[in-house]
Amino acid sequence: MKKTLITLILASLAVGLFANGGAEAASTSEEGSQFVIGMSQCNLGEPWRVQMNADVKREADKHPELKVVFKDAQNDTLKQRSHVEEFVAMGVDLMIISPKEAQPLTAPVKACMDAGIPVIVLDRDLVDDVYTQFIGANNVKIGTAAGQWVAEKLNGQNAKIVELMGLQTSTPGQDRHNGFMEGLEGSDVEVIFRADVEWLEPNARAEMESALARYDNISLVYGHNDPASHGAYLAAKAMDRQDDIMFIGIDALPHEGVAYVQDGILDATFQYPTGGDVAVQQALKLLNGESIEKRIVLGSRRFDTENVTSGGEAIN
Amino acid sequence: MTNNRFAKMMTGYTGKALISLLVVILLGIIFNADGAFFKLGTHRDALRQLSVYGILACGMTLVIVTGGIDLSVGSILAVSSVCFSLFSIHYDMAPALAIILCILIGTALGSVSGTLVAGLKLQPFIATLAMMTFARGFAKYITGGQKISTYLTDADGNVIIKELPQIFQFIDSRIFGGNLTIVSVIFLFCFLIAWVLLARHKWGRELIAIGGNEESARLSGIPVVLSKFAAYAFSGAMCAIAGICQAAQETQGDPEAGASYELTAIAMVVIGGTSLAGGRGGMGLTFLGILIIGYLEKILSINAVPESGRLMITGFIIILAVLMQRKAD
Repeated sequence: MKKTLITLILASLAVGLFANGGAEAASTSEEGSQFVIGMSQCNLGEPWRVQMNADVKREADKHPELKVVFKDAQNDTLKQRSHVEEFVAMGVDLMIISPKEAQPLTAPVKACMDAGIPVIVLDRDLVDDVYTQFIGANNVKIGTAAGQWVAEKLNGQNAKIVELMGLQTSTPGQDRHNGFMEGLEGSDVEVIFRADVEWLEPNARAEMESALARYDNISLVYGHNDPASHGAYLAAKAMDRQDDIMFIGIDALPHEGVAYVQDGILDATFQYPTGGDVAVQQALKLLNGESIEKRIVLGSRRFDTENVTSGGEAIN
Repeated sequence: MTNNRFAKMMTGYTGKALISLLVVILLGIIFNADGAFFKLGTHRDALRQLSVYGILACGMTLVIVTGGIDLSVGSILAVSSVCFSLFSIHYDMAPALAIILCILIGTALGSVSGTLVAGLKLQPFIATLAMMTFARGFAKYITGGQKISTYLTDADGNVIIKELPQIFQFIDSRIFGGNLTIVSVIFLFCFLIAWVLLARHKWGRELIAIGGNEESARLSGIPVVLSKFAAYAFSGAMCAIAGICQAAQETQGDPEAGASYELTAIAMVVIGGTSLAGGRGGMGLTFLGILIIGYLEKILSINAVPESGRLMITGFIIILAVLMQRKAD
């Protein structure tokens, strides 16, 4: 009995400690809010998704009539499904969801729509278009833009390059590879070393060390994300070969990829926009009675050493 | 006498582990990736790459010989890595102070596991699983889920680039004409400490005795609770050192760093020949285990073997090495 009581008290204390902090972070404006938006994020373990939530919050903070409740499913599909159901039970005015997987989350989203709650789907599409709007960027196009940029810079030099790939069992990893190869077509640029680094910087560094040991002549490293290129840069720097090699990446988070370009580590990074700000703008439109499009494909920007201080350049 | 001892060693666990290592090296000689395997740099890099895992395996060995396990090593590594970055980059703390604080934090987290296992008699698997979960959350909590890098954002959202602290550059630098990385030196130093403690110190013999039979160890006057507690605390300290090395090599503190490193560290210890049941093992065996896994990874990497193949080959070699060890019984 005594044990149970102590356990209960300790557990309540622990929960209370963090529940308060959580609630504070969750609501953007307490008073006078007219609309409540539920934001279901699949995994806040990724910096890019942290940025997405930050973009949602920043945009929502501009509108005092909006209140956003954030939930993080920690990369667990079933947890995210419960979060959707919780938002329905709460009776939010609109839900924004960045789903972990298409198949298992399509039905819960449909149920949400059936309950009369509009849904904006961010980044990953569902199986059916059972939502109000889909907002996402196109990895193939961004990969192609990267490939074309490389071809433009290096064609005619018989250049040898290294590709450090994102998880190849994931769609973004495959798309960034396929798009890149498409962009390279027609040039004499050759990929001589290719490794799946699963988006992870320490892996990228180790793989790059192997590439450097094997090849004396490497012109460029294409990382499927900026941390991969950064890891490759560190490997090259340790051998004092960083000046002979160009490094490019994808994602262009403000204090990651863009900062790497500013710092002279990367030569270019191609933005994979989160769409968090766009989602809030669209939500507001809808909540104010306007109609919105079914699909929005986000544009991307290239940040290179020449344009990084002026905010990059839009790519088509 | 010496000869006899050498012969005994060669037919025992050490010999078996050595054979596994030789098989791996032989693979490297056959699949040398256009001679890349014969370059000195390849071996220097292999040693760099295995250093962080190796440091974790040092602490892990002392825990495993008691019949325990420490699943929290990767998460404590992450805590140390973000704390070290926070102290050094954001607070401009003196390197020595930052390092000492990180080691204290790691030791404290390890001590909590130690208290749960030795004092409160929780199963090591459960206690350290809880610590693994808690410490990962703690790392995310202190960083707000973001990496701690030299890029800071000011109130207006502008990025400020801070200079990378000297200590980061030092730990990630090389000595002996560029042929040995500082992280490898740190690993070898940790290994030496663990080896002295396990093979030459009373405490080491106590740990092995506890792993062999805890009850008879207690009856023969060994301070079981204290010795076991200290093993987990020591493992925590090793994690902290590994975390500092990880941060220096990544030039940032990543709250997601070290995920699944515990499995690699455990594999290194077990492949060497230390028994998961406790009571049998040594740092020499772990050293061979570290080299086997480290070199295998390097050889697969220089040959650019696709991920699917790497996983299958690694699984295959682990089984082969462990089966080999069983024959030594």
